[in-house]
Amino acid sequence: MSATILKVAALAILNVALVLLLSPLYEGLLRKLKATLHSRMGPPVFQPFLDTLKLLGKEDLLTVQHPAYAVAPAAALASVLLLATIIPIGGAPPLAFAGDVIGVVYVASMSAVLLILTAFASGSPYAAVGGSREMMSLLSVEPVVAVTLVVGAMKAGTLSVAGIADWNAAHGPTISMTLAGVALFLAVQAQAGKLPFDIPEADQEVMGGPLVEQSGPRLALFRWTMWARQLVFSLLLVELFFPWPRTGVLAADAPLALLKALVVLVLVAVVDVVNPRLKVEQAMGYYLRVALSSLAAMAFAVVGM
Amino acid sequence: MITFRLLEAAAAFLIAGALGALITARRGRRGAWVSVVAVSGAAILMVASAVRAFRGGGDPEVSALPIRALGAALRIHVDPLSAVFLCLAGPIALLTTLYSVEYMGRFVRDGLTKYYPVLLILFLAIGGTVVTTDLFWFLVFWELMTLTSFVLVIFERESREAHRAGLKYFVWNQGAALGLMGAALVLWRRAGSFDFEAIRVSLATLLDTAPVTGHAVLFLFFFGFATKAGILPMGTWLPDAYTAAPTSVTAAFGGTMTKLGIYGLLRVFLHLLPLGPATTIWGIVIAVAGLTSLFAGTLSALKQDDAKRLMSYHVIGQVGYMFFGVGAGIALMQTDPLLGTLGLVAGLFHLINNSLYKPCLFLGAGAVEYRTGSRSLSALGGGLGGVMAGTMACSLVASLAIAGVPPLNGFTSKWLLYATGILGAESSFLLPVAALVAMFISIVTLASFVKYVAGAFLGAPVVTPAGAPPIRDVPATMLAPQYVLAGACLVVGLAPFAVLRLVHQAIVGLPSMIGAPDFASLLGGSNTTLALARDGITLASWAPVPLTAVLLILGIAAYVGLQRAGGVVTRRVPVWACGEEENPAELRYRADSLYRPFKDVFHGMYPRMPVVRFEFPDFLRRTLDLDHWLYQPLARGTQGAVRGVSRTHVGIPQVYLLWIIIGAVAVILTVLLVTGGAP
Repeated sequence: MSATILKVAALAILNVALVLLLSPLYEGLLRKLKATLHSRMGPPVFQPFLDTLKLLGKEDLLTVQHPAYAVAPAAALASVLLLATIIPIGGAPPLAFAGDVIGVVYVASMSAVLLILTAFASGSPYAAVGGSREMMSLLSVEPVVAVTLVVGAMKAGTLSVAGIADWNAAHGPTISMTLAGVALFLAVQAQAGKLPFDIPEADQEVMGGPLVEQSGPRLALFRWTMWARQLVFSLLLVELFFPWPRTGVLAADAPLALLKALVVLVLVAVVDVVNPRLKVEQAMGYYLRVALSSLAAMAFAVVGM
Repeated sequence: MITFRLLEAAAAFLIAGALGALITARRGRRGAWVSVVAVSGAAILMVASAVRAFRGGGDPEVSALPIRALGAALRIHVDPLSAVFLCLAGPIALLTTLYSVEYMGRFVRDGLTKYYPVLLILFLAIGGTVVTTDLFWFLVFWELMTLTSFVLVIFERESREAHRAGLKYFVWNQGAALGLMGAALVLWRRAGSFDFEAIRVSLATLLDTAPVTGHAVLFLFFFGFATKAGILPMGTWLPDAYTAAPTSVTAAFGGTMTKLGIYGLLRVFLHLLPLGPATTIWGIVIAVAGLTSLFAGTLSALKQDDAKRLMSYHVIGQVGYMFFGVGAGIALMQTDPLLGTLGLVAGLFHLINNSLYKPCLFLGAGAVEYRTGSRSLSALGGGLGGVMAGTMACSLVASLAIAGVPPLNGFTSKWLLYATGILGAESSFLLPVAALVAMFISIVTLASFVKYVAGAFLGAPVVTPAGAPPIRDVPATMLAPQYVLAGACLVVGLAPFAVLRLVHQAIVGLPSMIGAPDFASLLGGSNTTLALARDGITLASWAPVPLTAVLLILGIAAYVGLQRAGGVVTRRVPVWACGEEENPAELRYRADSLYRPFKDVFHGMYPRMPVVRFEFPDFLRRTLDLDHWLYQPLARGTQGAVRGVSRTHVGIPQVYLLWIIIGAVAVILTVLLVTGGAP
């Protein structure tokens, strides 16, 4: 019994550590890539770590003094790390017994909820505009994520994340799962807050939106939350919808999953570079169409393809 | 018998309290405290009788006050389903009455004589409705509930809106209640008795012999209960009535009264109606009605500016979730007992959760109104959080609970509902689509409660105008109920196991639930994890405590190890407006600007709430207008006749003599004519 608990704890710590430490690195790689595409030098790959370190030592300026407001950045980061423990990274999800795909959808939205509430609480009108936009982005993206996960659940006949991944690994590519995977990929773009969907932050319009009043360690943690979120979502995508090949050995599968996630994020970054920012209503119309077309994946799942 | 005595004592408490409140109503707060004492006594007794029912299956049915000619009697039996509702009604009645003590001080122009006594009778009616097993008395209590709640809706006698809302409420609910009576009469004619057992037999034979009448009866039941629950399109009364009533009453309505629509559904479709083809059909109807309501109701809530009205539309949306769960459960019960039971448990559990967070939200909105006099989110402009910290904390917890943010209670019941829908794909592919709609609406719920919390509490602190007293948090008697309810949201969210067991007991205790799986094979026997499994394969799982523990550990680690690791200085600064110096009031982002593009995208799909105006048909108005065809013609006729008589009285003796002679001649002639000249 205690051996099982130890194993779960070790796996959970591994997942959390991977996401926590690799997400800034991935962000650095993406920045370098974007700079290359822009024909710039770009910052060093480890720049996000350096930025974070510097921000953690900066003075903490608060517009509101409330305990909940004070801990919101840490809570947001914790919620994304919690998400990392209920998705698979190479092996089985460490806390598989605790959450299924519905849990994934809801835990994933927790960091956004915290960011939105912090934005409104900060009292800045720019943050309020950003919060309103973040909410609308959640409203348009979350259904897409939900549809794709439901397609997986329908195919595998279970809501368990591991169950869906195992089923897909065992059965090979199917039309419905591929379509759902593509839809989830399109959703990752907005979940990562990348162009053309960086509408909530929109530096040129609302000056970082929800983050306008966040400084020092608070800004560092919220940024880290976003980096972790984009990594977790791309891991979810590759583990659930493109889990092949699978060796069954954690030491081989985990690096492979992380590599595939990097490929996903590279694609996201390329889309980011070549696109201008959309307006809110355009983005919502776009995701409405994506959600409706991913219903086609459901239709395929119903007929067993 | 003990249960009967307990309930008798509870009723006695409420009636005595109503009389006491009536006598002491004019003496300040005394009437209020009399009511609080009476309701707390009744609440304890109600919960005690419920505990008895959960423990040992309850006492046998007791009947009193027989009306032999009708085959009716006050039959009292508390089964686990009744017990669930007693457990909700008692404590929520107590909390809302306690809240009223201070809150009702707002209404200086309206006497409290018509408040506490009526409120207590309403609680009596609610309790009576759920414990009787006699259709006649069920309807008596139902009517009593409708009437007393009507009086409470029109409490503010000088408000025209309240009167209009009251009329709408009365017409819809009375119409629905008449339908229920019609259905009851049809069944009574066949059964000769109003006893549920006899009705159950007669409904089964009716469906066999005269299916059209049988389904018409079921339709009337469905219509009656859906109207009371606020299902659209019948539920148009709900936002008006909820907004017009005093907030303490609104909380009581939202926590108990409208939920009796679900009670009625479960009683009729799983107690009076044996499982068969009819249950499947009506299960689908109920689920579709629920889905329509949750979609239209919640989307309409998003554009409301009045906090209470926003929450009232969410009542419609939330009741849609319950109808969806219950309907899907009833429909699936025969083909897939596992998912059928899961859907029913989900629906009833969602009802319990809703009865915890919805009153809490209403009480929070009432507290804001009590202190600021405003319910408009745009006018409030936020910033109350600093001065009303307790109210904000409770409203925030309840808002997150209704939006289904884990680990609060709303998530658990939504999780059960979605699991029913998604795993029901094998029975119908429409079920997963419905589950997706429900998931989307859950985010819309989140959006509208972010709007409420932001519009009322968050943001730069309010600036009270010079001379006005500073805004403080509400008194303890208004805060305590909110704390209790918000705490319950958290506790039920973290430890849903005990409550779910009771809910499961209530569902499987219904006579039609034959072949329902026991709790262990439904959700696992563990006390830390809810796991739905079939044939040994885990289909869905949710463990609130481990997840929350991990979240807490990670959160503390992130706070201590990262956020505060640098040991940096914190400093309070004003909001940075990019260098512009503006009046703080102009720097606010008003609540009505939120999500405007989203509302525009959905503009075409936006279900405009059908505004039903009560234009009586002309003939009906003329028929009802007694002035028109009775009083005025009568008055006119009488007046004319009197004027005619008065014209003869000219005051000249000769003319009177002439009249007398003419009269005498007329009499003689008449006598001669009648007798035919014979002496």
